Amino acid sequence: MTTNHLVENLKKEIENFKAQIKVEKVGRVIEVFDGIAKVSGLSDIKSSEMVTFGSGEAGVALNLEEDAVGVIILGDFSKIKEGDEVKATGRILEIPVSDNTLGRVVNALGSPIDGKGPMRAEKAYPIEKVAPGVITRLSVDQPVATGIKVIDAIIPIGRGQRELLIGDRQTGKTAIAIDTILNQKGQNMICVYVSIGQKDSKLRKIEARLEEGGAMNYTVIVSAGASEAASLSYIAPYTGVSIAEYFMDQGKDVLIIYDDLSKHAVAYREISLLLRRPPGREAYPGDVFYLHSRLLERACRRNEKYGGGSITALPIIETQAGDISAYIPTNVISITDGQIFLETDLFYKGIRPAVNVGSSVSRVGSNAQIKAMKKVAGTLKLDLAQFRELEAFAQFGSDLDDATKRQLERGKRSVEVLKQLQYAPVKTEYQVVTFYALVKGFMDDVPIEKIKEFEKKLIEYTERNAKTFYKEIAEKKMWTDKGEAELVKAITDFKNGRH
Amino acid sequence: MATISNNDIARAIYLASKDKSSGEMHQVHKNIISFLARKRLMSKSSLILASLEKIINSEGGKVSATVASAKRLHDEEEKTLVHFLKKRYSAKEVALTKILDEKLLGGFRVEANNEVIDLTIKNKIRQLQEYLTRPAN
Repeated sequence: MTTNHLVENLKKEIENFKAQIKVEKVGRVIEVFDGIAKVSGLSDIKSSEMVTFGSGEAGVALNLEEDAVGVIILGDFSKIKEGDEVKATGRILEIPVSDNTLGRVVNALGSPIDGKGPMRAEKAYPIEKVAPGVITRLSVDQPVATGIKVIDAIIPIGRGQRELLIGDRQTGKTAIAIDTILNQKGQNMICVYVSIGQKDSKLRKIEARLEEGGAMNYTVIVSAGASEAASLSYIAPYTGVSIAEYFMDQGKDVLIIYDDLSKHAVAYREISLLLRRPPGREAYPGDVFYLHSRLLERACRRNEKYGGGSITALPIIETQAGDISAYIPTNVISITDGQIFLETDLFYKGIRPAVNVGSSVSRVGSNAQIKAMKKVAGTLKLDLAQFRELEAFAQFGSDLDDATKRQLERGKRSVEVLKQLQYAPVKTEYQVVTFYALVKGFMDDVPIEKIKEFEKKLIEYTERNAKTFYKEIAEKKMWTDKGEAELVKAITDFKNGRH
Repeated sequence: MATISNNDIARAIYLASKDKSSGEMHQVHKNIISFLARKRLMSKSSLILASLEKIINSEGGKVSATVASAKRLHDEEEKTLVHFLKKRYSAKEVALTKILDEKLLGGFRVEANNEVIDLTIKNKIRQLQEYLTRPAN
């Protein structure tokens, strides 16, 4: 483009410009402290309305009092002075959304922070929206393949479900979330990872891992770091779900991870206390339940008539010393459609992912499981439950009858099979084959320390020699007698060749 | 118990002193002061006074406005402005505070009743900047 051309274009643009004359509602800052501003004036302002400060920072009006408005400042509050002008915008806080967000890291206001240049916005979505109503919804019946054996088999997650990941620090909550994202490659799923109050180093590591696994192509990361204002941590999950809704409105399936909602609640507690709202249990404000319920209610599966698409939510809650009866954990447990418990004890016993199968549940996911998986997982669940019961009193005596011994051995092998390394998601077909071999007793004579190796080689062998079975699982989601016979033959051949 | 706000007290004072002769006013004032002292509200008297002023202004149809301009306004302009403000806020009287600010470059801006009408060159330039850097659609 030549200089002349540029000047011509600029001239044209300026000619098209028409200055608008409008009456703006304004107020003045009375007080600024800790990310909160008290503003006088601003008559007729709505709750949750966005305001702009003279210095360019945005804010949200949360407290509408008789003679002042309490505003949370989204960003740096050090530039705001007493007496500054505050303008009401008449709009709820909006974030820019577009397909270009994919592969990007954005902040709580939707602007990119990954240094990959500006992002073109197509639409603006309000961050607060009423969740889809009853008639627009569909019940959950499509699976989300997490690639984690214990979850896909025992605590299955369906598209549109809200499944809580709960556990102490360092039990692998984020690891499960990241593995799930990695496994969504080619599964027609958009992922949104919302990082709330996390260390920037952790976020960087996650981004690098997702990039390495080729997962960033279908992933958006929303980040409100630990060094940023609490107000940004407070709005980040809503920003994330708005981005998710943008993709859902195109009929796509979206997976959103909130890492983690305990920090979100803490950020909201901080804001509420600074706004002088009365504290309740554990000093959380009275509406902390609504804070999370309105967020998680936006996860849904919509029917075709209303555009289809779904949002599956995986909120994460960090407990203190395994105390799941604290305020926030009980709240979120009651909101979600099930929870996955992760335990420190299991983690250090080497059972990783450290999922406590006994207390983890999925209230709606079993409808979403594919038929083949349901068939093998049913037996597996029973095996594990019996194992847990027997394990306790098997420690007392060695005089056990054969049936009990068999069950114990089976249980040990089941636990071994469910162990899985990080960043190593397993395809559904492979899972079905492994569980099939396990529950039909083909692994009973394999030494426990050789189970992993056996599993790996079995999959390699059967994939070559039981193609019909694999094809049936992939296409029809269930095997036929023909496929089953082929698989049984392949497993027997494999074992005979080995032993 | 619902708290009584400064605004409520100011309204009560306004109603108490409304339509009183100057003789009665003396007694009313004495009562108000003793009430404030008894209820330990003297520290809030400046806030109450500010609320009272607002109430008196709105009841009496008085509007205070601030006009900021780069150059001094002509008498003619000022007259038109006052006329406009009277009509807009259906006021009987307009108290105009004038500010000179060269940074506005030209034009003027009026602020009244928590509303701003910005007709300065500075604002126009800002709008032009926003227009030229807007995201393409």
